[in-house]
Amino acid sequence: MMLMRESIVMKIHYGTAIGAVFLTVIHILMRMTQDFHESLEYENVIANYEMIGYAIMLELLLILISVHGFNGLRIILLEMKQGPSYEKAVTYGCIASMAILIAYGSRTIIMTSMGMT
Amino acid sequence: MEKENKAKEGIKGWINPAKYGKFGIERFAWILMRITGLGLLAYFIGHIYETSHILDGKAVWDASLELTQTTEGHIFLALVIGMCVFHTGNGIRLMLGQMGYGLGKPGRPDYPYKPQSLNMKGKACIYATIGLAALAMWYGMAVMFG
Repeated sequence: MMLMRESIVMKIHYGTAIGAVFLTVIHILMRMTQDFHESLEYENVIANYEMIGYAIMLELLLILISVHGFNGLRIILLEMKQGPSYEKAVTYGCIASMAILIAYGSRTIIMTSMGMT
Repeated sequence: MEKENKAKEGIKGWINPAKYGKFGIERFAWILMRITGLGLLAYFIGHIYETSHILDGKAVWDASLELTQTTEGHIFLALVIGMCVFHTGNGIRLMLGQMGYGLGKPGRPDYPYKPQSLNMKGKACIYATIGLAALAMWYGMAVMFG
């Protein structure tokens, strides 16, 4: 089962990893701009989402981690067992799960940043 | 078509203690990379679900946040920090290894056939990554409990 050459998939895996690390650091630093507990208060979190730049960054982070995470899961599952139908099921299952998670997370980001809370 | 070989040991191979004695710290890093990866993916899915509570108003957000504002919640988050730092550090080591850095020069395979790639540089990186993860967990605890 091959949707893409495995060497390309691994380049995407490493690229998403580097991008995710960089954006996660920014995401955590946002919590450090004030007291940790204060930064998680409802009003502060809403204010974070309403900053358009930060909302775009969260969307990017969501996509990068989802792609990296579900590709990692696919790699682990393929290390354990092989076979054409199994590999197909794992690959499509991971792609579907990734798409669902991205859609669900995007819903939160878009609705909150547009003030639909 | 030839029948494909299967990794017959599966999850049993992961937890077989004999493999750790035989393959050392590199094997430990291998298993820890997978465990932390799965742990971080599970945390990420939970985090996406938890943050979606912001759409349900302040009361629901505060209630869901309370779960992590306990001692157990803080310990759990410290574990997440540790997993994140180890996964990142070890991932960077693996990426550099795939690019050919730190693997040593190829040599004649003489007994006891020690691979050049499993050298002291790699081992030191793994120990340093574990140390960094512990430090990050300690700092995270200081922030959360402070």
